[in-house]
Amino acid sequence: MNYRRFNGSRIIWILCIAVMILVVLAPVFVMFKYSISDRASVVTGGKPIPLWPYDPTLEQFRGLMSMERFFNAFFVSLEIALLSIIISLIVGTPAAYALVRYRFPGFMVLAMLLVSVRLFPDIVSVVPVVEIFIKTNLINSVIGVAMAHSLLSMPYVIFIAMGIFETIPKDLEEQAWILGAGWLYGFTRIVLPVALPGLAAAAIYVFLLSWDEFIFAYFLLAFGELSTLPVLLQKILSWTPQHNLISAISVMLSVPVIIFTFIVQKYMQAGATAGAVK
Amino acid sequence: MAEVKLQNICKRYGRTEVIRDVSIHVKNGEFITLVGPSGCGKTTILRMIAGLERITSGSLYIGDVLSNDIPSKKRGISMVFQSYALFPHMTVSENIAFGLKIKKYGRNEILERVKWAADFLNLNELESRMPKELSGGQRQRVAFARALVLEPDVLLLDEPLSNLDAKLRLKMRSELKRIHRKLNTTIIYVTHDQVEAMSLSNRVVVMNKGVIAQTGSPLEVYNSPSDIFVAGFIGSPAMNFLNGIIIKDEAHLFIDFDGFKLIIPEELRSNCEKYSGKEIIFGIRPEDITDKRFSLNNEENSIDAIIEVVEPLGDKDMIEAATGDTVLTFTADPGKTESGMHIKIGFNMIKSHFFDKETGKIL
Repeated sequence: MNYRRFNGSRIIWILCIAVMILVVLAPVFVMFKYSISDRASVVTGGKPIPLWPYDPTLEQFRGLMSMERFFNAFFVSLEIALLSIIISLIVGTPAAYALVRYRFPGFMVLAMLLVSVRLFPDIVSVVPVVEIFIKTNLINSVIGVAMAHSLLSMPYVIFIAMGIFETIPKDLEEQAWILGAGWLYGFTRIVLPVALPGLAAAAIYVFLLSWDEFIFAYFLLAFGELSTLPVLLQKILSWTPQHNLISAISVMLSVPVIIFTFIVQKYMQAGATAGAVK
Repeated sequence: MAEVKLQNICKRYGRTEVIRDVSIHVKNGEFITLVGPSGCGKTTILRMIAGLERITSGSLYIGDVLSNDIPSKKRGISMVFQSYALFPHMTVSENIAFGLKIKKYGRNEILERVKWAADFLNLNELESRMPKELSGGQRQRVAFARALVLEPDVLLLDEPLSNLDAKLRLKMRSELKRIHRKLNTTIIYVTHDQVEAMSLSNRVVVMNKGVIAQTGSPLEVYNSPSDIFVAGFIGSPAMNFLNGIIIKDEAHLFIDFDGFKLIIPEELRSNCEKYSGKEIIFGIRPEDITDKRFSLNNEENSIDAIIEVVEPLGDKDMIEAATGDTVLTFTADPGKTESGMHIKIGFNMIKSHFFDKETGKIL
């Protein structure tokens, strides 16, 4: 038998991986630990903070549930995310369809322009957006932030949807036309149903992007009454609250992201094969 | 049932002309096949008849109606695509009923018609299945059912058999004939397979590079091809072509090849005479060449040849024989020929064809 020895290079490899995992997971662990910590495990009066809380508790979460600001922010975030999905799909899906079905000169230029918003750092592109939104009175409104988030997610929606439409053979639509369907009927009864799993993936992607987006939400909302969860977190941070409260909010912010990421993976695969015909 | 008339149809994409001056008159209830190598424009013509492609110039009549600008759905046509184009999110019966629902048939009539189509194409057991659960042949039949259930005046078929394996293709071929005989629909069929074209249709339109090379019954295009393209394209194995010069002496008209001569029979003399002294292309089908050992023909038109390749096909052998630099393909009874043999081969000159070397047209 030939056992693999723990030679030098192998040990270094394992160490590297261990350090990497530690780097990635340590903040997550700290966040989780604080969120279930009792007060004594946070305010220790000079003694080192314990690795695991003395008396794990869900008190912080209970506190959040009765905290009106948190609730409002949670639902504002949700509302903005759903609105972003609706706007970016309603605008992005037909755009993607047109780009795929009617290739025209300058197609690549247009495609580049579509992603150009994302070529600049958010902190740069936020300035003109906020300026326009101030002039059009869209600042401090749910719809305003949803529009900004749609702007950010649109390139992704369009590119995902283009990928989906490309897998749907034109034959299907032409067959529908010959069987008596008009263009709209063919699009809504044939193309959209076949594209649906893929579009669901795009929708979830928009949700994730909107849910934890901070910069645009902050500049569009920070000086008014409304807050999204990330903006609320920032506001609370500014009055240096206890670690365990912040951590509880962070957990509430992260859980949907983690859940949705798993769902996305499943749907991304479904989306890739959804159009397979013949 | 309806007739379809194409008059001087042209199609251009930008500056490229893909269809030039095509005129076809498809009669009521006729099964006509457009055949040609890929890229010859046959599918484009079918798509123009279907209304999926604009006609640049010329007129298209379906029935008696000028249909150039009539949308697909009002042309009274159905089409089966090469890919079958079954709607993947609908069951077999939903697929078949799709057109009926749009045309607002009553519930009972839809059920009745779908049942008729399913019976007609042996799909009864499969009605609630999804397309992905069907085999290639079954999908094909669903596509036909969906097209036929609307009782189209004209049925357009775009290479419907090319995605099937060889055995199923033969079966669907006879199935198609059965469909045509029973429903008597006008069928326009596109294929690159000349055997399919020959075996299925009343009439064949052979196309090459966007123009019609010849229109005629399968036997006409086989026996009297109008040019060298049709002669070479129709028939398998393909016709043999040899370069030669027509020479006239006191008694005979004959063709002089490099190394041997063949006498042109009286029947073909009038066509060839004016070409005497000129180069022409001589064509003869493999079955019109015989191994002299097994034929009783006269000795007049025979030459010596060496067998190079023998391919046994079961019912016959396909043979390549060389004489000088020329290689000829012909068929013979199985098992009687071996490579390396020296034999005499004879030409059935009555069945031979002569083509103008410059234009490719028949003399």
